Amino acid sequence: MQLMLRILIILACLLAIPVAAVATAAVKQRFADGPNRVFSGGPLVAGELYTGPEPDWSFVNEIPTVELQLLDPAQSRRIWIAEAEGKLYVWSGYMSTTVGRIWKQWPVQAERDGRAIIRINGTRYERQLNRIQSGDELDAIAAAITGKYPSQTTRAGIEAGGVWVFEAAPRN
Amino acid sequence: MKLFYWAVAAAIVLTILAVLFVPGVDDFIEQTFQRYLGRAAR
Repeated sequence: MQLMLRILIILACLLAIPVAAVATAAVKQRFADGPNRVFSGGPLVAGELYTGPEPDWSFVNEIPTVELQLLDPAQSRRIWIAEAEGKLYVWSGYMSTTVGRIWKQWPVQAERDGRAIIRINGTRYERQLNRIQSGDELDAIAAAITGKYPSQTTRAGIEAGGVWVFEAAPRN
Repeated sequence: MKLFYWAVAAAIVLTILAVLFVPGVDDFIEQTFQRYLGRAAR
């Protein structure tokens, strides 16, 4: 019994080293201007704020990821993005798994308050995230996602809640 | 055992300092974490 306890303590101590590394990296990223990979970054500060007519978003299909910041809370993350039928879409997978729901907090926050800033190629765009759960447009969105990324997103998956899709509409 | 605790404490402090101040270490940690997180979320 004493030996087992000692082994457990040793394992916990050794586990504390990578946990400290991950926690430190996550905290450090919170103070940065934008995200890096999975850890949330701070508010998007650098970059010109776009004003003008609605852009032709087709150019985002050449861009692998963008930075998305919600106004509340003011944290940013790196996400995939796609354009379909002239509209801009962002989404989050893994929403039906336990780990995914713990990991992916931003979709829930965006559903509560969709005001967002998206930074693309150094330019910041003010947008309003509106969740889309049904409708024929999901076919085009799923096709845009699977055409751009190695993703198995389907309309059925979106309707079932496994993938949360948001239109990044202009903010008025 | 006391020496072990000291070694672990030193390793944790060194790890934190490395992540904070050594260029590229934070990115390596995040990349590794991303790999395991993606696998766990499936």
